Amino acid sequence: MTPQFSKKAVKIDIGDGAAIPVKKDSGLFNAWWLTFFGAIGIIIYLCVTQPEPYWRILQFLPDGIVVTFQVTVLSILLSLVLGLITGLGRLSRNKTLNLIASTYVEIIRGIPLLVQLFYIYYALGRLEFFKGLPPMAAAVVAMGICYGAYMGEVFRAGIDSIDKGQAEAARSLGFTRAQTMMYVILPQAWRTILPPVGNEFIALLKDSSLVSILAVSDLLRRGREFASESFLYFEAYTMVALVYLVITLFLSKGVSKMEQRLNYYERD
Amino acid sequence: MNGTRPIIEIKNVYKFFGQLQALHDVSLSINSGEKVVIIGPSGSGKSTLLRSINRLETIDSGTITVDGKDINAKVNDINQIRQELGMVFQSFNLFPHKTVLGNLTMAPMKLKKVPELEARKRALSLLDKVGIRDKAEVYPAMLSGGQQQRVAIARALAMNPKIMLFDEPTSALDPEMIGEVLDVMVTLAREGMTMVVVTHEMGFAREVADRVIFMDHGQIVETGTPEHFFTNPEHPRTQKFLSQIL
Repeated sequence: MTPQFSKKAVKIDIGDGAAIPVKKDSGLFNAWWLTFFGAIGIIIYLCVTQPEPYWRILQFLPDGIVVTFQVTVLSILLSLVLGLITGLGRLSRNKTLNLIASTYVEIIRGIPLLVQLFYIYYALGRLEFFKGLPPMAAAVVAMGICYGAYMGEVFRAGIDSIDKGQAEAARSLGFTRAQTMMYVILPQAWRTILPPVGNEFIALLKDSSLVSILAVSDLLRRGREFASESFLYFEAYTMVALVYLVITLFLSKGVSKMEQRLNYYERD
Repeated sequence: MNGTRPIIEIKNVYKFFGQLQALHDVSLSINSGEKVVIIGPSGSGKSTLLRSINRLETIDSGTITVDGKDINAKVNDINQIRQELGMVFQSFNLFPHKTVLGNLTMAPMKLKKVPELEARKRALSLLDKVGIRDKAEVYPAMLSGGQQQRVAIARALAMNPKIMLFDEPTSALDPEMIGEVLDVMVTLAREGMTMVVVTHEMGFAREVADRVIFMDHGQIVETGTPEHFFTNPEHPRTQKFLSQIL
């Protein structure tokens, strides 16, 4: 047995979110600064110097931003629920539960998100049971199920990262397995889990642009609507890209702030 | 019931880790109020034996009863039995997300439904006892190893256990902190707590043990009073071990 006084939290790097800026990484920090304020600067510059069409486009987009956030938030909530269940399933000693959870992860990870969206909306939508499923609901279900599988891995790794001695200490006091998870493991695992969850949130927000194919009027679709009416493709998509960039960079900053806060009980 | 009934009975216990035999036909009976110190080289099975008593390790055959209850029987709730068995680990295992006070009050409040005020009062008096009441509101990461281990002892005591199990409680400590932890353990022993201690601290064994047990290769090789052990060990393996560490 090797003594472990304060096990450093394991960082789970999923790597498909935006790069999270941290102070130590000054190159990235500067890149974040440059890109974020650069994007805002360009938006302002374009809107001031050429209000027609840029200012008009910018006014056209907010409805789409709201929808993008709706899809993202609802999907992430669903994926968190599925992720917790899947993560616990993957760690379960019950072989059946374990197999179900692992199979879910394998299936979902093996099918592209775009195909999953098509499948749930168009293929399952043909079935009597799913007839009339609103596009928004189909989008949230598809994204939630897809990200739930990834989230399951985040939860599994987060729970796994907690020193085994913690569970032993709790069990030796008389806590059941479930109580140990609830009062001892999960409250500590959050710290490891939240940054990658934040990262997944950003990744999901970007991937949510895929739902525009399901007739959900998200940010991308609003841009497309504007473009197809005005034929100003370059201008419309430039604004869409810049708005996405500002949103994701802003959120990644939030994730890095959150990560710093979460270390409150660790001595550096 | 007097103080001499066996509170822990270990009978013919075998335990394997894969091919490795960790415990080989171990039998041991410990009386209420007795202080038993288990010594032996690393890999001798002493920690495994200790951890088997509260089923942190499951045994492959034999029986272990605690206070008359077979800990491996389905009818007995192991979580109830564990409430009677305080455990102190080599690596402390304090809950880092809770303050010192939180570490002490969590189990009594959640498991015994002790009201918060009462749990806090009791926790503070235990912290007094281990000499770190002033650290009640800090997080474990702010404490030294010796302080953490004393909190860990207090945390185990907060459940009012009948028996305390110590798994090499001072092995992870800097030498200057060993004394403060041993002092707490000696106090506990004086108060009549039943204690099973796996340790390399021979001074402690000599001072408080009613019985010293030497284990090697998963077996109990020799049992005796500290006096017998440190002056006149019989078995050659015991002699060799003691000559190496004393």
